Amino acid sequence: MEILTQLWQIFCHLFEESGFGKLSWENYVMVGISFILMYLAIKKQFEPLLLLPIAFGMCLVNLFPGIMGLPSTEMLTEAEMVARHLDPSTYTTTVYNGVTYYNHVEYGGLFYYLYQGVKLGIYPPLIFLGIGCMTDFGPLIANPKSFILGAAAQIGIFLTFIIATALGIFTPNQAASIAIIGGADGPTAIFVTTKLAPELLGPIAVAAYSYMALVPIIQPPIMRLLTTKKERSIVMGQLRPVSKLERILFPIIVVVLVALLLPDAAPLVGMLMLGNLFKESGVVDRINKTAQNELMNIITIFLGVTVGATATGKVFLTIQTAGIIALGLFAFCLATACGVLFGKLMCFFTHGKVNPLIGSAGVSAVPMAARISQKVGQEENPGNFLLMHAMGPNVAGVIGSAVAAGVLLSVIKPG
Amino acid sequence: MGDMMQAFILLLAGFLVVFTVLVLLIVIVTLYSKIIRLTQDAGKKRKELTHEEAVETSEPKRELRSLTRADIEEEDDEIPGEIIAVIAAAVDAVYGEKPHKIRSVKRERPARSAWSRAGAMQNTRPF
Repeated sequence: MEILTQLWQIFCHLFEESGFGKLSWENYVMVGISFILMYLAIKKQFEPLLLLPIAFGMCLVNLFPGIMGLPSTEMLTEAEMVARHLDPSTYTTTVYNGVTYYNHVEYGGLFYYLYQGVKLGIYPPLIFLGIGCMTDFGPLIANPKSFILGAAAQIGIFLTFIIATALGIFTPNQAASIAIIGGADGPTAIFVTTKLAPELLGPIAVAAYSYMALVPIIQPPIMRLLTTKKERSIVMGQLRPVSKLERILFPIIVVVLVALLLPDAAPLVGMLMLGNLFKESGVVDRINKTAQNELMNIITIFLGVTVGATATGKVFLTIQTAGIIALGLFAFCLATACGVLFGKLMCFFTHGKVNPLIGSAGVSAVPMAARISQKVGQEENPGNFLLMHAMGPNVAGVIGSAVAAGVLLSVIKPG
Repeated sequence: MGDMMQAFILLLAGFLVVFTVLVLLIVIVTLYSKIIRLTQDAGKKRKELTHEEAVETSEPKRELRSLTRADIEEEDDEIPGEIIAVIAAAVDAVYGEKPHKIRSVKRERPARSAWSRAGAMQNTRPF
């Protein structure tokens, strides 16, 4: 009989210690959401490089929350040390009210340590380094007016900030972090959110990357709605070739200007331009290859899983998350619309030489947004090649969203 | 109200700063591109001049006439009379008895050559 009781107790203890005993319903819902995201990443190939690690991180943290556990120090009495079969000679001690306590350090979970790269703002600039190595600023140098379209798309960020603040359910810091989703730039959104509203990192990162993945679905209807068939059919002249010297000088000039005017944007823009200088200088081929391949891939894994691991059930399943998802979509649509409208303006002033479709590429989302301009343009005229023209506003959008992030960070101070 | 005021100030500041920085970049990029191109063109011309001088001194009596782009376009633009007659007949067939006049017949130049178009199509197909 006693054996049965003990066996029962062991099973009860095992059940209590298992996930079934410890997890709440929110965790199970989040695991379900992570499965949907995994499906979208694998089957539909929506930004799989980031969505897959994010979804898996989300799944893991909701099944085993301890993986994000903070390190802690437990103060044990001598009797407790003996009961746990611990050797007191290897522990530091603290004397409190005449009693000696042994400091028993519990280390944090794996993701807690990996997450420090996100928390301290290390990963996003490193991702920008890799992006810089892969980015060709040639179309932007050949047609510098594209910068205007990159700036226009950032209007969506600031308008969304106003609306999010007006709703009254978000603090200005949170509103700014939500608004940056409109820049369609994952690393920038994460960089700003970790500094201004780290508590919203999970929902904001998931919303930002989801919308970037949904660019082919979200942007075309807005582009078609705001342009006429004639405008969409405009064929743009070929871009002039850009000399090597111009390409080398570009990152240096941009970093000097942006770092002087907006020091808060310097980590992002600085690393982006460093990467681009690696590429264009042509003298550090090994570093260039490492930065755009191995380093970028490693950081992407760490960033993805740890950002996903911030999306625990209790944090994610709130009314705020619904607000973030809705406002993020609004910001993204607004940014696209502003880009296209400025494209129309440029079309008007250049007497029809600019196809307004390239304006939508002003949201970052490189190179997906430029591909969409190309695709929608070719629907009207199969002989029209807007890809390189759209790459100008597209890479200008990366600089523009980093500048907008700098403005938000310098005006709204963290805390 | 305080938050909304701050939001409006940020909106204005954001517009101004983002546009100012990017317009500054437009000005700087345009300027330095022009300077670089001028310097490089000047360098090329100097090279060409020294090359021509060398040619003249070695073969002083040989007359060289290089075809300019305008010459080539002029030759290309010549549309045979038969084609113009066919176009005129087609226009006449469409307009019939309505008064009409053909002012000019111009060859439409595609932005790219057929080969270039085929290459671009090939490269951008996955997009």
